[in-house]
Amino acid sequence: MFGEKVIELLKEADRNRETIDQFNDEKIRQIIEEMHVLFKMNMDDANATTENRSLWTTVQVRHSALERNKRCLLAYLYNRMDKIKTLRWEFGSVLPPDVRELLADSEYEWFSKYSTNLAKYMRSLGEDIGYSGIDLTENLRPPKSLYIEVLCVTDYGKLELEDGDVVMLKKNSRHFLPTSECQTLIRQGQAEVRHIPAVTFPPCLRRIGCASRASRIRSVA
Amino acid sequence: MANYLSISDILVTNEKVPCKFLHDLPKMGFLDPSAADDDLKAGTNVEIPLWLAESLYTRRPPLVGVDLPKIYKETYREILNADACTVDMHKLGQHFYELGCYIAKHDIKGEVATTLVNTFRQRFRMILSASVSTDSISSFQPLSASERDRTAAAVITEAALSGWLKRGDCPITTANMVANHRKRKRAEMEML
Repeated sequence: MFGEKVIELLKEADRNRETIDQFNDEKIRQIIEEMHVLFKMNMDDANATTENRSLWTTVQVRHSALERNKRCLLAYLYNRMDKIKTLRWEFGSVLPPDVRELLADSEYEWFSKYSTNLAKYMRSLGEDIGYSGIDLTENLRPPKSLYIEVLCVTDYGKLELEDGDVVMLKKNSRHFLPTSECQTLIRQGQAEVRHIPAVTFPPCLRRIGCASRASRIRSVA
Repeated sequence: MANYLSISDILVTNEKVPCKFLHDLPKMGFLDPSAADDDLKAGTNVEIPLWLAESLYTRRPPLVGVDLPKIYKETYREILNADACTVDMHKLGQHFYELGCYIAKHDIKGEVATTLVNTFRQRFRMILSASVSTDSISSFQPLSASERDRTAAAVITEAALSGWLKRGDCPITTANMVANHRKRKRAEMEML
């Protein structure tokens, strides 16, 4: 049956929607080989259609299979490319080595180019009004306070703040730090700093939350 | 072609549909597992993947006639129209709605289309009310793939909304992909 290998490849990719897998070059090589064989068979049969008209239908079936394989391979690469784009936003411009080895060489090249383009764009932002660029990967959610309380989950070492102070981030120590200094560490997870959310809220808000939920159910039903 | 690069659409079009071949196909006997011949004769009924069926159906002249899969036939339509919520969608058809959208055009009377809408309407209410309340989704009949995705999304949105209403601020967390990557790494480490 046609196109079974390619479906295995895609099912594998579909199972891991949230993370990126090792680039499966072995399977891709097999699929391309299958396509070469199909193409060769089609060439031979297409040349023979002058004597045997009925071969024409077979050529069409194989051609559909070729198109299908092409579509699946393109979809595989495209979906990986989408994930690599996310890598740039979530891991930052330097990939940890264990993530780096999941990418194929050409994919890594694409990543570097994307990263350069993004950096160039971010530097160019606000030039006309005297700013030297904005880091768009920061503050993906509106910051609520200038300082946040954080808990270190591993030994990170020294962290130098913008005002020159040096903070020692030791495991299980708590700090009160400027949001802008430590949010990249939290996002990238590499510094292992965890945000402790403040738990102060007026009780009236809680009641509104429950009421709106109930009324929504009622309006649907 | 819509959704050319969508993996889920590719998986939907991989489902098998019964087809009748209208022309002889030399050397294609392997498509029919019960045939001993090398050639596939016109008039054979074979189950082939939807992508192949669609592409052969759109040729001029069409090489195949597409028949309705079992779950879109009269008997199952009656069950679905009676009470769609009691049906095990996981077993019946992982991609019930998506496949149905492709199949509906091969049904001349248009009854498949109405059944799809009816089924969705009945089941959507069930899924919605379960995802806004906290009772477990596993308590009702298994869902199809797209229903599962929709339920998961609804649960996340609901949690985010109630979190926002209670707290009014959004804590910075580890980015999604980073967290998942580390979880997987830990699982692999434990396996070794």
